[in-house]
Order: sequence, then C-alpha cells, then structure tokens
Amino acid sequence: MADDRIGGYADALLSVAAAEGASDLVEDELFRVAEAVRSNDELLATLTDRKLPVDRRQRVVEDLLGPQASPITTALVSMVVGTGRGGDLPAIVDRAVAKSAAGRNRALARVRSAVELSDDQKARLAAAIKASTGTDVEIRVVIDESLLGGLVTEIGDDVIDGSVRRRMAQLKETFS
Amino acid sequence: MTRRTRYIGWALGLGVAAGLFTASPAAAVPETIGSCVFEKLVELEESGSSLEALEEEGEEAVVAFSDDLEKCVEAPSLIIPEIDEIIWGGSAFLVLFAFMVWKGFPAVQGAMNARAEKIAADLDAADQAKTEAARIKSDHEAELAGAKAEAARLIDEARGQAEQVKADLVARANEEVAEMRARAAADAEAARNQALADLRGDVSEIAIGAAERVIRTNLDHDTQRALVDAYIDEVAGRG
Repeated sequence: MADDRIGGYADALLSVAAAEGASDLVEDELFRVAEAVRSNDELLATLTDRKLPVDRRQRVVEDLLGPQASPITTALVSMVVGTGRGGDLPAIVDRAVAKSAAGRNRALARVRSAVELSDDQKARLAAAIKASTGTDVEIRVVIDESLLGGLVTEIGDDVIDGSVRRRMAQLKETFS
Repeated sequence: MTRRTRYIGWALGLGVAAGLFTASPAAAVPETIGSCVFEKLVELEESGSSLEALEEEGEEAVVAFSDDLEKCVEAPSLIIPEIDEIIWGGSAFLVLFAFMVWKGFPAVQGAMNARAEKIAADLDAADQAKTEAARIKSDHEAELAGAKAEAARLIDEARGQAEQVKADLVARANEEVAEMRARAAADAEAARNQALADLRGDVSEIAIGAAERVIRTNLDHDTQRALVDAYIDEVAGRG
C-alpha cells in the first residue's frame, strides 16, 4: 500500500514536471532537495512534525527553496509536505528519478561531489561509466563539501569512491 | 550307661552269684568237730559197723577209725583246696568263664574296640584339628603377610600419590608463575602497543587535520577540476 502511494506521488511529480516542460531541471532539483532532507534530520523532523500546521511546514519549504529552486520544484515539494508525506519525500523522489531514468533506458548514478559539475564533466562521467560497466546511466549530482574533493558515484549497490576524504582516511589508517 | 556297660555289669553280677552258689558245696564240709564226728559215726553205722564192732575187730580198726575222726580236728590246707572245692570252684569258674566268653568278652571286646575306635577317632580328630590349626595358622600367616604386603603397597601408593601431588602442585605453581609472567608481559606489551597506537592515532589525527586544513585552503577550482577529471579517467580505465 505504501509502495503504491510512493509510486503514485512519483508519477505525479514526473507528470507535472513533464507538463511544465522542465523534467530535467525539476528532477535534478527534486533530487537535491531529497538528498538534503535525507541528510538533515532536523529538517526531516520539521517537515514531518504533525504538531506544526501544514501551512507552516509549507512555508519552511518555500523559505528554503525559494531563492535556490525553480517555482515548480518548490510547489511540488510544498505539495508533498502539505499532504503530510514529507517523511516520504526522499523515497518519492528516488522512485521518480529512477523511473524517469528507466523510461530512457538508463540507470541512476548518484554522484556526490565537493563542487558543482559541468555538463561536460557529467557527460564524460556518464561515458566513462558506460565504458566501465556497459550501462547507460543518468547522472544526478549532490554537492557534499565534506568530500573535500573528487567524486563518489553510487550505481545501485556499487560504489566508486574517488574522494579526497577517502584518501585522507586511507592515509590515517596507514599512520595508525 | 551304654548297653555294653550293662552287659559287663550283668556278667560280673552273675559271676559273683555263681561263685556264691557254687561255693555252697564246699561249705558242706563239716563246720564243727562234733558234726564231723557225727557224720563219721553215721557213715560207720551205715556201713553196718559200730564202735563195739571196731573194738572187736581189733586195735587197727580202732586206730583207723580214730585217724578218720582226727581228720575232723585237722585244719584244712591253706594251699591245696579240697577236691570238691576244686570241682565246684572249677565248675563255677568254667561257667563263669564260659559266660564271660559268651557275653562278657564280646562286650569287653566291643568296648575295647569302641574305645580304640574312639581313641583313633579322637586321634584323627586331633590330627585334623592339628592340621586345621596348622592350616589356619598358615592362613593367618598368609593373611598377615598379605596384610603386611598390602600395607606396604598402600604406604608406597600413598607415598607415590603424595609425590605426585607434590609434583603437580609444583608444576601448577610453576605454570601459574609462568602464566602470570606471560600475562604481565602481554599486558605490558599490550599497554605499550596501545600507547603507541594512541600516540600514532593522535599524531595521525593531528597530521590529517593539518593536511585537511592545507587541502581545504589549496583546493582551488582548477585543482577540483583536475581531481574530477582524474576520477573520470580512473572510472573509464576500470573497464
């Protein structure tokens, strides 16, 4: 039942983004918002706190995303939070992004980077992954400054960690 | 009283009675001189004679009759009995002897045999008792020897066990000492390793923290781009 509900919300998000002709942008922004919610327990608790009035929770979303995301993305996130499904937002977005990628016969590659990637870098990374795994992927980037530098790519259960953080950890293990 | 003893008693009683009765003819000898003389006179008259006839026959007849009468005053011989006494006594003896042979001797023989058998049995019993006593003595000696051997064995065993216990205690004490030493050495080694690890960790933390600060300040845009490009090349090279 919960799975159907998440699927339904995911379809709704994709339909709205497609209807507005901004699928790539909206999916990318939704993906980043979902990652932010997933990694921030306080934000997740705020969005799922039923003691807060719905309009208050929606106002939090609008305040956070207003200057950084497109109005469509902000409206979609506000809609999900307004229906009381803010806790399911990461799962809904994951389902939507994966479904969108699968519609284009691609797998989702979750990329964490310390800096923003250019379109050229994303394209070259997708080509490199294709050359390495034989799978067409759709790159979704999440900014994670804790990596210091480099990238971490997750494709399903496979993780390719090329971050400076990992190398620092390896160096620390060597010292220890 | 056994049957054999009763037989012997009866035989002796009968012998005494026979002696008394058979001796009575000997007692028929005139006990007084008068009766003897009277009997001589009666015999004379029964022979158809008389004193007057004797006197008429002559001095020799009178002397013979006088000698005959003098026999009445003669004392019986202490050595040679009278003929009738010999006869009666011999008869009584024979009767008694025959009776003794018939009844007494077998009884005496049986009693003697029984006595001999009893003595033999007693001797056998004594021999058996002696043998049994000897056997018991030998058994006791054997048991005593066995007891002594067992005691010696137990003492040896106890001594051996005591030695073993002593050896075990010493070995255990040595093991415990060695174990304590090893444990102390291991603890010291572990503490030293832990201290080195802690020190190494602290040093690495400091070094890594310093390196991270240096990296943060030196990772400019070009360096980030170069890192990303290197990563892309690395991923491409995996195939």
